Amino acid sequence: MSEGGERDENTIICRCEDISLADIRRLVERGYTTIDEIKRLSRTGMGPCQGKTCRLLLMQELARATGRPPGEVALGTFRPPTKPFKLGLLVGKEGETRDSQDTGGGEDDGGQGGAAR
Amino acid sequence: MSGGPKKYDAIVVGAGPAGLSAAAELGRAGARTLVLDRDTRPGGQLVKQTHKFFGSEKQRAGTRGVEIARLLREEVAALPAVEMWLNSTVLGFYSDRVITVERVKDAPGEERREWLEKVTAPVFVLATGAAERFLPFPNNDLPGIYGAGAAQTLMNVHGVRPGRRVVMVGAGNIGLIVSYQLLQAGVEVAAIVEAAPVIGGYLVHAAKVRRAGVPILTSHTVKEAHGREALEGVTVWRLDEKWQPVPGTEKYIAADVLCLATGLSPLAELLFQAGCQMAYVPELGGHVPVHGEDLETSVPGVFVAGDVSGVEEASAAMVEGHLAGLGAAARLGLVRDLAAVAAGWRAELASLRAGPSGEKIRRGLAKLAGQTAGMAASSPAGSPVSPASAPAASAPAAPPPATSAPKPGKPGRTLSPQLTSTGEPAASELESSLPPADRRRQGPYAVIECFQEIPCDPCHKACRTGAIGPFPDINLTPAYEAAHCNGCALCVAQCPGLACFVVDENYSPSEALLKLPYEFLPLPAAGHTVDLLDRTGALVGSGRVVRVVRSRSKLATPVVWVTVPSEKVGTVRNIRVPATKGGAAE
Repeated sequence: MSEGGERDENTIICRCEDISLADIRRLVERGYTTIDEIKRLSRTGMGPCQGKTCRLLLMQELARATGRPPGEVALGTFRPPTKPFKLGLLVGKEGETRDSQDTGGGEDDGGQGGAAR
Repeated sequence: MSGGPKKYDAIVVGAGPAGLSAAAELGRAGARTLVLDRDTRPGGQLVKQTHKFFGSEKQRAGTRGVEIARLLREEVAALPAVEMWLNSTVLGFYSDRVITVERVKDAPGEERREWLEKVTAPVFVLATGAAERFLPFPNNDLPGIYGAGAAQTLMNVHGVRPGRRVVMVGAGNIGLIVSYQLLQAGVEVAAIVEAAPVIGGYLVHAAKVRRAGVPILTSHTVKEAHGREALEGVTVWRLDEKWQPVPGTEKYIAADVLCLATGLSPLAELLFQAGCQMAYVPELGGHVPVHGEDLETSVPGVFVAGDVSGVEEASAAMVEGHLAGLGAAARLGLVRDLAAVAAGWRAELASLRAGPSGEKIRRGLAKLAGQTAGMAASSPAGSPVSPASAPAASAPAAPPPATSAPKPGKPGRTLSPQLTSTGEPAASELESSLPPADRRRQGPYAVIECFQEIPCDPCHKACRTGAIGPFPDINLTPAYEAAHCNGCALCVAQCPGLACFVVDENYSPSEALLKLPYEFLPLPAAGHTVDLLDRTGALVGSGRVVRVVRSRSKLATPVVWVTVPSEKVGTVRNIRVPATKGGAAE
């Protein structure tokens, strides 16, 4: 492996999902140049921090790779929840108040409510 | 039921400096306000800021951040209309303006409870702050690599040292301040590495770490990190004027901690979810909500304040919080003449941003104002969105014309390349801070080594003799007239930048007396012998402590009076208490 290749393998972009710069560059070579595509293929940004660390690194790398200004790289869709939480909170568990059982993820939130990832 | 969300008049997300300030305004206006924060204590990043703040009295300049957090907390707690949920993370902002909150109760001795709750309100202030940026370099996942803010939390909130020897990346205010606090915690700082050719943070902060012996390597960046199980060292290399690394300039620095202080980016997820129009403005930290002077976003009733609206100093965040809170209260019909009530805060904000240190913010806000023009058409009637009067546009590009102040205080002064690239003032700058020779022989005088125009005025507020004049513009350097100075050193104890010193050249035939600010433990006591250090932290001699002045005021910095060989009085600017002798005075 070339020195650059090894450097890229050891450069982590997404810490939560352990995705390296080399992983990202391989996806770009295959023609995937949007954050959403790369997220779906590699889980970049889908870990516990929900992309708070890697999204900007990925944006910069995609800007570099495609020759676009960083501001023109679409960030992808931001959906709730902003952080993972226990599925049990959605269904309600013993000892919880009635309020909590009815809270979150109902029809009245537009149907996009909180599937924990 | 009851599946319906709990209803409030206003919801503030984030209990940092911006959110608490907004909540205070809403609460005072009588709005039933809910404040949400994911942390277990309010105050946001203020709770770990042990340094004094800059700005003016209204933004509590001269007060340490942690103390500001306490004052804001008490102010909000005294308002019956405000309810605060801590340990409560907002998970989503939905299209019907309902937000979901994950709540945790984890009191000692009680069973841990977690549940979800829905809340809604006609107006929101989103003050979610910002997150630290990360850098891509080989082995950047080694244990021991932290965001600077994380290291600061470990030290100042949890009382844990992150390691023994640190390399700091970034010479902005966060990198400089956290380096200084690491030193205070007894951690060695091997170097501060900065990719830009100049130091980005306040130069008084740079001077503080520099005289503690920390080198600041501008035009340098991290090439790679090394270590097997954890960080063992860092290779840095120089960048040329096109920001390209120069092979052959690699330098290995042994370190078990690498701190990244390479900037913040707004935590804007909820704004995206709320459907706010966003713009990418690098000067403001990345993607920020398009907003007007009243801090309302493109979604009516959704206000922003603090770093999420554009990364800036905490003093600006507090002012923005007041403005957003007032704007939201006006939306509820609780504030009648918003323009009049907000005018003072708007002027404060413009003044904080008016100096050279606000140039980047002004540029960013000007870009954003361009976006605002497009938004005005779609903004609701009566909304005081007015791009022409945005602070960016109205703030002067340069400070006002020169006054007749005899000493520093002249606006628009050029800083030496030595000062901006290393943190050490050049000889010419030091010369300009000294009174005339005949005055120097007459008795003690202050030396104010404050060369950069930053928004700050506590030295004037501290001065009782009129030697340090009022600030016609808070961004000017101090106007100092040594003829009126009696060497009382009140300015030494108050200056947030620790840039004031007092020199008495006539202390004895061979010795001068230096009064300097000292923020390290153990404090020396009268009679102790201490090492004398110059502005680069190099040992230049030893001196005797004559007195240590600790004011009853919480705000004051301890002032150490130390003897200095006469010929070195212009060189010595720091002391070190020897570890083995001298003893500790608590």
